[in-house]
Amino acid sequence: MAVKSSAEKRKYSRERKALVVHRDMQAMMNYQTQLSAAGFVPIIARDLGTALLAMTQHYFELGIISAELGEAGDGWALGGVLRMVFPRAYVAVLAPATTVETLQMAINSGVTQVFEASKQPDEIVSAIFQELTPTHGVVQ
Amino acid sequence: MLIVDDEESITRTMQMMFEERGFRVQTASSCSQALENLRNGYQYDAVITDLNMEAPDIGLEVARAAKRVRPAPVVVVCTGYANLNNARLALDMHIDYLATKPVDLDQLFTAVDRLLERRRDLPSSSARPRTGRRQNHPSGPHSSGSERQD
Repeated sequence: MAVKSSAEKRKYSRERKALVVHRDMQAMMNYQTQLSAAGFVPIIARDLGTALLAMTQHYFELGIISAELGEAGDGWALGGVLRMVFPRAYVAVLAPATTVETLQMAINSGVTQVFEASKQPDEIVSAIFQELTPTHGVVQ
Repeated sequence: MLIVDDEESITRTMQMMFEERGFRVQTASSCSQALENLRNGYQYDAVITDLNMEAPDIGLEVARAAKRVRPAPVVVVCTGYANLNNARLALDMHIDYLATKPVDLDQLFTAVDRLLERRRDLPSSSARPRTGRRQNHPSGPHSSGSERQD
């Protein structure tokens, strides 16, 4: 493997990475496109195991996670873990509907925001970027 | 810890339960009293507030004020009247925990402990000594009633 130059290392260290976890390949690709256009490096996973592996190998400033991965509701737990591992990350969970229960689940899991999964990825990414502050992902 | 509820039986019960677990607890029976405590520079590791007191959803004012304090305490909202509007506001304010009444105290203890531990591990708060839970001395006196925090 080629040794990276100092400039390359600095470039890589500045990359802002987003974790997208969704079992629907088309949705995942849409998020990938949107996030790339917004300057993030998207890392994608379709299941819990891959997502956890990705969390051991990258530093994430943003997470977009479907509430339903292998089984209903497991995305919430993953969102909570992502927030615990990266406390300053912005973590969005895509839920089938916005109810009091899903909002309570979002608060108690520690995720930043919940969006209805039926919304278009560009709408969701745009809403996230409106809320995303410079401190998200930054260790102070 | 600050516990805010307009029902005295609830504040007394929660105060007793949290004190048994080693916390120093202050109570407030209204939003305005809680805001006064927060403005007066008391520092809390956790603020647990009811939602509906003098007015519907006014507990969110307590939560908002608590979130502005630095270092920020863990903020828990307890309510029997959660709806889409107040739950959305609570999420947008980054409330740490939303408990629905009747509150499962074991779940609440677990959540508060977990959130305090997590806060302690955050880089920005790592320099802050933990003051919300006093050391238990088996032979020493237990505090009774409200206590002023250092």
